[in-house]
Amino acid sequence: MELFLKYLTQPYLLTGILYTVMITVGGLFGGALMGMVLAWMQLSRYRVLAVFARIYAIIFRGTPLILQMVFAYNALPLIGIKLSALEAAVLALSFNEAPFIAEIIRANILGVDRGQTSAGQALGMRPGTIMRRIVSPQAFRMMVPALGNEAVSALKNSSLASVISMQELTLRSTQLASSTFDFFSIFFASGLMYLVLAGLIAVLQIIIEIALDLDRPKPQDRLLSLMPWIRREMPVAQTASAAAAEEGLEECMPARLPPLDRAARARTLAKAKTVLKIEGLVKSYDTRKVLDGVDLEVRQGQVVALLGPSGSGKSTLLRCINRLEGWDSGTIKVLGRHIGVDGNGFALSPREIADARAEVGIGMVFQNFNLFGHLSARENIAGPLRWVQGMSAAEADRRAMELLERVGLTHRADALPRHLSGGQQQRVAIARALAPNPKMLLLDEPTSALDPELVAGVLQVIRRLAEEDGLTMLISTHQIGFARDVADRAIFLDQGSIIEDGRADRMLTHPENPRTARFLQILSDDTPLSA
Amino acid sequence: MKLSQKLAGSLLFRSLTCAGMLCGAVMTTGSLLIAFGSAAHAETPAACAALQEKYPELKGKTLVNAINPHTPGYEALDPNDPSKYVGFDIDLGEAIGDCLGFSMTYKPVTFAALLTTLEAGQADIVISDIYATKDRAKAADFITYLKVYDGVLVAKDNPKNITGINTSLCGTTAAENTGYVEVPLIQALAEQCKAEGKPAPEIQLYDNNANCIQAILSGRADTYINDVNTVDGAVKAYPDKLSKATAVTLPYSVGIAVPRDNHDFRAAIMAALTEIQKSGLQETLMTKWNLPADQMEEPKLVLAD
Repeated sequence: MELFLKYLTQPYLLTGILYTVMITVGGLFGGALMGMVLAWMQLSRYRVLAVFARIYAIIFRGTPLILQMVFAYNALPLIGIKLSALEAAVLALSFNEAPFIAEIIRANILGVDRGQTSAGQALGMRPGTIMRRIVSPQAFRMMVPALGNEAVSALKNSSLASVISMQELTLRSTQLASSTFDFFSIFFASGLMYLVLAGLIAVLQIIIEIALDLDRPKPQDRLLSLMPWIRREMPVAQTASAAAAEEGLEECMPARLPPLDRAARARTLAKAKTVLKIEGLVKSYDTRKVLDGVDLEVRQGQVVALLGPSGSGKSTLLRCINRLEGWDSGTIKVLGRHIGVDGNGFALSPREIADARAEVGIGMVFQNFNLFGHLSARENIAGPLRWVQGMSAAEADRRAMELLERVGLTHRADALPRHLSGGQQQRVAIARALAPNPKMLLLDEPTSALDPELVAGVLQVIRRLAEEDGLTMLISTHQIGFARDVADRAIFLDQGSIIEDGRADRMLTHPENPRTARFLQILSDDTPLSA
Repeated sequence: MKLSQKLAGSLLFRSLTCAGMLCGAVMTTGSLLIAFGSAAHAETPAACAALQEKYPELKGKTLVNAINPHTPGYEALDPNDPSKYVGFDIDLGEAIGDCLGFSMTYKPVTFAALLTTLEAGQADIVISDIYATKDRAKAADFITYLKVYDGVLVAKDNPKNITGINTSLCGTTAAENTGYVEVPLIQALAEQCKAEGKPAPEIQLYDNNANCIQAILSGRADTYINDVNTVDGAVKAYPDKLSKATAVTLPYSVGIAVPRDNHDFRAAIMAALTEIQKSGLQETLMTKWNLPADQMEEPKLVLAD
């Protein structure tokens, strides 16, 4: 015991810790940098880069670190690169950690809901901005535990540097054991030192996890919770179900708006200019044709309901319009512009497409809301305004609050998406899509992921957009009643083609095409239309 | 002697605690101090002055000596001050450095890595109780300085009755270090053992003395055959658990390894070693470290064929 304490406090071993830490930190830092590059290469749209990254991973994951260290130290001098032991150890550890860290990064980037990327694209965010503002912050939160593991394993791996004469803890322990013959006291002492270092990593990991926790109470609230004698109403983190209950009360009986003045609208629309023109649009996945020669013209202010069975191509059509998807042939012009190709018809880069989307101004609302999970309702709206439109923080915030007021959610401005009910989330998503004042709004089944009692609130918001703002809208929906009340025009898509196109109120009550009729019949069996 | 050792020791500590190139400045100051220390060295042979004139390029340099510091008596940490290495090889290397005017820093590596480290240019010289064999001479040139006597380390009172590198090893397990010359000698016994109808000896490979000694202490191995002084040291450390069965002579010499392509350097080291032996300094050092005087060997080259 006495010997153990002697070695535990011996400066010679304690300074060995310093080298152990230097190798570990250096190796992790280098590994993280290289890991980011490798992950980027694997996720890149250029196949060559992905293949290169794969081969690298196979080599450096598949060979023992001890060989890599010896190689860096003893073989590199043969080609004129003579590294010190510390440099060789850090280099080898970096090269070895890189593929592991790359996989952690890649897995967690892929783990961020793809829908959020689509939403970012639809808002005109560039790929880099989406990565930096949306994907990375969420991926990093999920990565912390795995990175903590990796740090501990790097700490232990640093002991292999003893084979290249690096004066770290293990080498010092073995030398000391050789000269003193106090084998066990020395190794227990150095073992405890490693344990303490690994413990520090664990503590650091916990601190980072707490710091990144989105549900973390505000500092003053935490302080109050430690002082129960101060009686104050503690803000309770609201859960999604509680939000739903609240919303149910808000909206169980939506005010019935008067029917549209169709004649007046038809007169205005007849004079309006064309905002969207689609000609001969064809798209297939593998061999299956999803869109088979779609032609469509939409005038400013027109509200078009897109109907059709699942798989009829409604979503694909909407996604093509703002170039979230490419297509095989045909043209789509929005306000006279092609999105996705330059003046000479050449394909644009993803970054240029993003800028084109932002300039043209097409808002999009998704079936699954696709709110940015790490941002509050207010930030979901204000963030893109700052990043894409370059608004000042104050201005963006003011606009966000204004829009939240319109969708009736000012009281939930600072709530995270996961604490909002589906209906509330969709209203925030609509507010977000409206924020940059789009010329046209595409809504992809905006209510089909909602519980029935939440549908009405969302539909009410959409209807007001049509009436009060005169916004051009394309809505794919199964809400026949809503389509009949709000849409000027209905389009029935089946197997990638438009098979019926006409005035919504007429087509939805007296369809001409038998397929439309059958489809409407099936829907009305499920949800009886109100007269 | 004491002053210079103390200085060298404190410098060594500094060079070990600063990382690689990060402390070049400290090292430079260090070599100056060493030069000062060696000037005061009383025992440096007089002929060394002439050698320093003949090989001026070594003067003031700091050379890297690769060692496997797990051999108390030859090279190991000083148990009282682990910031420095001590032993006969260390003193001999310092004496050669004093003679030619260079100072020494140490790079601790596994035994098997001694020559690869030299070949890779990560060390300038190897003085680490390494036996000069023809095989090893393919990797480095050797200048010999000691005869080889091996001791046979066994558990207390030699329960397996091992009597040397002979058929008494049949069916036993020997612990050795990777790359030791004893390994092929023990392996070669397999034929003889077979002829006598006994199982061949087994060999466990480790990478330092301490592990080999631990192998006997824990009962994993029956014997460890290595330099007799190392064996004596182990018996002294564990008198209740270990014994020396016997001593054997091996047809080798202990040598200083130097790079193969630098004949000037080799000649300088050999000349300095010759002077150190002539002046009686080597004998003094051998006495200091309890090496028998008849182990002394005149410097000769062992080169590849």
